Amino acid sequence: MTDNRPLDQRIRKYIDDAFRDVEPSQQLLDLKEELTSNLREKTLDLCRRGLDEEQAFREAIASMGSLSGLAEEMRSLSRKQSQPGHPAIDAHISNIGLVLGVLLVLFGLFTLTMTYYMDMEPTSVAGTGIFIVIGGPVITYSVLTRETRRKQGMNRLRAFMHAVAVGLLLFGLFSAVTSRYATGEMFIAIGAMMVFFLAGTGLLLYLLLTNPDRSKGCQ
Amino acid sequence: MPGVISNDLIRGHTDTIILNVLRQGDNYGYGIYKRILELSDNQYELKEATLYAAFRRLEQDGFIAGYWGDETQGGRRKYYRITPQGREKYERDCRDWEFAKTILDRLIRGGDENDG
Repeated sequence: MTDNRPLDQRIRKYIDDAFRDVEPSQQLLDLKEELTSNLREKTLDLCRRGLDEEQAFREAIASMGSLSGLAEEMRSLSRKQSQPGHPAIDAHISNIGLVLGVLLVLFGLFTLTMTYYMDMEPTSVAGTGIFIVIGGPVITYSVLTRETRRKQGMNRLRAFMHAVAVGLLLFGLFSAVTSRYATGEMFIAIGAMMVFFLAGTGLLLYLLLTNPDRSKGCQ
Repeated sequence: MPGVISNDLIRGHTDTIILNVLRQGDNYGYGIYKRILELSDNQYELKEATLYAAFRRLEQDGFIAGYWGDETQGGRRKYYRITPQGREKYERDCRDWEFAKTILDRLIRGGDENDG
């Protein structure tokens, strides 16, 4: 088949424009993909019947009819669905979570340095790291559920599992350091770390490998 | 395209027309569009925008079910298949149509013989 790139882009742009002011959703993506592939096929059909690409594209669009009714339907659908989903509340939680998470990590770092210079016992110094262990997952969750211009927010359960994975990894490090200072034995440190670290790595790997595409474009 | 069938007349039958096409085998948007054009002997073109709105409605009501094809080149096609409920609805619509056709014919053309 010949190179249809410019045509593909024009079709995609036409469809994107028709649904420009509709909130992104899986249903919208599906409908757009359906319309795009059908419009493309129709244009190519018209080309085969002797129209040049420009005429074929115009003709295909004209005979398609106005898409405003479909766009309106999708808009009212997303309005209906925004009730249980609460994207506004999700965004709010994400903002608060990000602020809290960063503050927790900073607080952890400051107390860590502070206690270090206070000549306290190494166990207590390491103990303050728990704030970083808590802050890390909070930041992870907040960042992942955040909706950006190009990506939809991750669903809450998935984001929560990511947060747990990060938490396990951090807690693994934390328990390694604390048990090392508490017992003075390196092998205990490694043993303590291993359990959490393995669980965290396993979970994170699984999540990364099964992550669905959250980008908003068709490609 | 000659505008012999008014939109008002066909609007109420879009769903049945789609069900009739799908009754004969799974098909996708543009395929259904072409099939309708073909069935009407190129006399009637159903706008695709109307078609997609009807797909959504029929799918929500459980009369048809959509699934993605596995084309690799030029984007995937979304196919539709008729469900058992869809078949029932089609049979119902056909009976209603037969009835309406008879009555409408009487209403539109009848009466002459009674004037005597």
